[in-house]
Amino acid sequence: MRRTRSAAALAAVVLALTAACSPGEPAASGAGQPVSGGSLTWAVETEPITFNPHQYAQAKARLLVWNTFEALLTHDDKGGHLPWLATGYETSPDGRTYTFKLRTDVSFTDGTRFDAAAVKANVDQFAVEGYNPTVAAVQLRNLDRVEVIDPATVAFHLERPDVLLLDFLSSPQGAQVSPKSLKEAKNLKAGGPELAGTGPFVLDRYTAGQEVHFTRNPAYQWAPANAGHTGPAYLDEITYRFLKEPSVRVGALTSGQVQVIEGVPATDEALITGNDRLTFARGLNSGSAYSYYFNTAHAPFDDIRVRRAFREAVDVDAVLQGVYRGSATRAWSVIGPTSPFYDKSLEKTYGGDAAEANRLLDEAGWTTRDADGFRTKDGKRLTVRLVQSAPFVRDRRDVLAQAVQAAVKQSAGIDLNVALVDQGAATQALADGAYEVFDNSRADTDAGAALNLLLHSAGAINRTGVKDPELDRLLEEGQASTDQAARNGTYQRVQRLTVTDQALILPLYAPADQVAAAATVGGLGFEPTAGVPGSAYHLWLGK
Amino acid sequence: MTVAMPRLTARRFALRPPRPPIAAATVVLGLALTAVAWPSLFAADPLAADPLHVLEAPSAAHWFGTDQLGRDVFDRVVHGARHSLSIGVAATVIAVGAGILLGLLAGLTHRAADEVLSRGFDALAAFPLVLLALLFIAIAGTGTVSLIVAIGIATLPHHARVVRAQTLVVRQAPYVTHAVAFGASRTRLVLRHVLPNVLGPIPVLAMIGLGEAVLIAAGLSFLGLGPQPPSPEWGAMLSEGRGYLHIAWWASVLPGCAVTATVISLTVIGRHLQNRFEGRHQ
Repeated sequence: MRRTRSAAALAAVVLALTAACSPGEPAASGAGQPVSGGSLTWAVETEPITFNPHQYAQAKARLLVWNTFEALLTHDDKGGHLPWLATGYETSPDGRTYTFKLRTDVSFTDGTRFDAAAVKANVDQFAVEGYNPTVAAVQLRNLDRVEVIDPATVAFHLERPDVLLLDFLSSPQGAQVSPKSLKEAKNLKAGGPELAGTGPFVLDRYTAGQEVHFTRNPAYQWAPANAGHTGPAYLDEITYRFLKEPSVRVGALTSGQVQVIEGVPATDEALITGNDRLTFARGLNSGSAYSYYFNTAHAPFDDIRVRRAFREAVDVDAVLQGVYRGSATRAWSVIGPTSPFYDKSLEKTYGGDAAEANRLLDEAGWTTRDADGFRTKDGKRLTVRLVQSAPFVRDRRDVLAQAVQAAVKQSAGIDLNVALVDQGAATQALADGAYEVFDNSRADTDAGAALNLLLHSAGAINRTGVKDPELDRLLEEGQASTDQAARNGTYQRVQRLTVTDQALILPLYAPADQVAAAATVGGLGFEPTAGVPGSAYHLWLGK
Repeated sequence: MTVAMPRLTARRFALRPPRPPIAAATVVLGLALTAVAWPSLFAADPLAADPLHVLEAPSAAHWFGTDQLGRDVFDRVVHGARHSLSIGVAATVIAVGAGILLGLLAGLTHRAADEVLSRGFDALAAFPLVLLALLFIAIAGTGTVSLIVAIGIATLPHHARVVRAQTLVVRQAPYVTHAVAFGASRTRLVLRHVLPNVLGPIPVLAMIGLGEAVLIAAGLSFLGLGPQPPSPEWGAMLSEGRGYLHIAWWASVLPGCAVTATVISLTVIGRHLQNRFEGRHQ
C-alpha cells in the first residue's frame, strides 16, 4: 500500500516536472535538423514469413526489405524508374534487350563485390526449381537469358517485349542478394542474418515472434538520387518489434516504449492526432484494391447472377464507415485509385441495391429459405466460404469480413462462412478449391503485375478460375507495350471486363498505411509510388 | 472448556451460511438459466449488424451499447448465456459421467487396473487444465463440440479421484461386506450398495466444477478456440471487443461482467452446498 502511494507520488512529481519543462511550448515542433546516431524501435503489425527479398510476398514486410537489400532501379513518385545500383539502362529498338550500366563502388556487407556476375547470379536463382515459381512464371516469363558483358554492364535478353522487367528490377523480388549468400545460406528461402545485401543496414538479429534488429552499415555510400541524403544512415540501429494487436501498438507508442508504429487502426486515430507529442501520416498503397474474388469454378458463383447479387447485397460505404469510421478509401475497381491505369468511370456503377440482389437470387433459383433465414435451392443452403490466412490479415480485415457477412445475410439471405486459419490450412483450402470467396490486395508498384497474377488464365493466384482468351490477350498486350497511353487503354478494358461485364470481384477498399510516431522522429515518409512506409534510411531521432 | 466455548461460537459465526450472497447467486443463475432456455424472451437477434451505429455507448435503445459491427451487446450477452452455460454444463456432464465410471472401475476392479487408471489420473491432473484443453483442441480442431470434450477431459481426473477414494472406503463398509456375505450379485452390489454411497460429494464438486468449466470455456473462446464468429459467446465477445477497449469499454467489459457474475454465482452456490454436505451447519 505504502509503496503504491509513493510510486503515485513519484509519478505526480515527474508529470509536474515534464509540464514545467515545456511551458506552453508545442511538443510537436518536429524533430529539427537530421542528426546522426541513436537507436529507434518501431512496432510493426506483421511478422515477415521470410527475410529473403526474392521470396517477398507481404506488402506489410516491404518496409524491412530496403534496409538490407537494394535493387537495380527504384521508383520516382510518378511510377517511373530511377537508377539505384544501376547507373542507367538502354532499351534496344525491338524492346527485347535491356542493357544496364552498374555502379562500380558497391559491395555487399559480407565483402563480396557487386557486379554484373552478381546480378546474373540473382536472376538465375529464380530458375532453380521451386525457388519462387510465381516470379519465374510472371515477372520473368519472357526472360531468355542474362548476359554479363563486362563487370559493370549486364544485358537482359527477352523473348518478347516486356515492360514488367523494369518493375521487377525495382521490386523487392528483384533486390540483389550477395551471390556468396545465395550459394552458402543454409536456409536460403527463409533469409535472415545469413543473407547479405548492399543496403544501409545489416540484419544482425532475428527473434521469431518478437523482433528483428538492424545495425547501420558504415560503408554505405550509394543511396538513390531521391533519398534526400547520401552516405550512411542516420540511425545507429533500429529494432522492429512484432506487435500484432493494434491496441498494444498504440499503447506502446503512447507510453513511449516504441517511437514509431504502423497499422494505426481507424478507431485510434483521434487518440494520436489529439496528442501533440505524436505525429500521424497516411499513404495509399499502389497495386490492386482489397477485393473479394468470386470462385467461378463451381456453384454458386459459376452463375453470374449470384455474383452480382452478392455484390448488390453489400452496402460497401456503410460497411467501411462502420469498420473504419470513414477513414478508408472505397475501391470501385480491381486496381487501386492511385494507379495511373485506374478506370474512374467504374465508380458508382454497381452495389448496395438489396432489392436487386434479391431479384437476381430469385431469378437464379435460390427462392426458398431455411429456418435460419438463409436462401436455399434444392434443399441446399446458399453458403459461400471465405478462408482468411492469419499472417495476411491486416487493417482488421477479419472484422470487415464479419461486417460483410452480416450485410449479405441481412439483405439477401446469403450465408458467408468466414474462417480465420493459419497459412498452411489456407494454402490447402485454396489448393483444394474449398472456397467460394478469396480476399486479396497486392501492393505491386505496376498494377499490371498484380493483374497478371490474379486474372490471367495461367496466373499463380487466379482464384476466380477465370479463363477468358480476350482477358489473357489484353493482359499480354499490357505487359508488352511500352506506350503508357496504350497501356492505360488496355488495362481499362481489363477492368471493364472483370468488374462490369463478368462481375468477378467485389472491390472493397484501397489499402493504405497509417503510421504514427513520436514527434522526435524525423524523416518519416512513404516509399514513392508503392505508398508503403519507407525504409529506415531516412529516419533520424531529434530531441 | 471455558476457553473453548467462545472459540466455538466464533467458528460457528464465521461458518454461518451467507444468506444474501446465496440469494443473489440464485437470482443471477436463475436469470442465466432462463436466458439459456428462452433467449428470445429477453433479446432480439444477436447477429443483426448495423454498420451505421457501431460502438455506441449504452442507451435506452441499446442497454449495453453496440459493438464494432453495430450489434446490440445486450442481445449478444443474453444469447451468449446459452453458449457459455451449455458448454459448461455439457463439459461438466462429461467430466462427472466419465469420472464416476473410471473412479468406480479403479476402486472396484483388480489392483493392477487401479494402478494404471490412478497413474492415468495423476498424469492428466499433472497438466494445467488449460494446457490439457489446448492440447486436445490442437488435435481435434476448434469448435463448440471439441471445446466441450476438451474441458470435460481436462476436468475429469478430479471427479474420478474422489469417486475412487469414496469407493475404497465404501467397499470396506459393513453393509457391503454383509451384502457380499449374503451373496449379492456384482451388478447389484455396485448399483445398489456402492454407487449411491459414493455419489455424495459429486453434486458439490459438479457445481464448483461447472463454474470452472464456464471460466475455461470463456478463456479458450477468448483465444479463438471455441465457437467461431459471429457466435455470441462471452469469451469471444471479450476478445473481439478488446481492440476497442479504450473507446468502447462496454463491448468487452459487459460480457466480462456476465462471465464473472455467472462464475461467482456458481462458486458461491457450490461452496454453500459443500458446507452443507460437510455438515458445518444445521
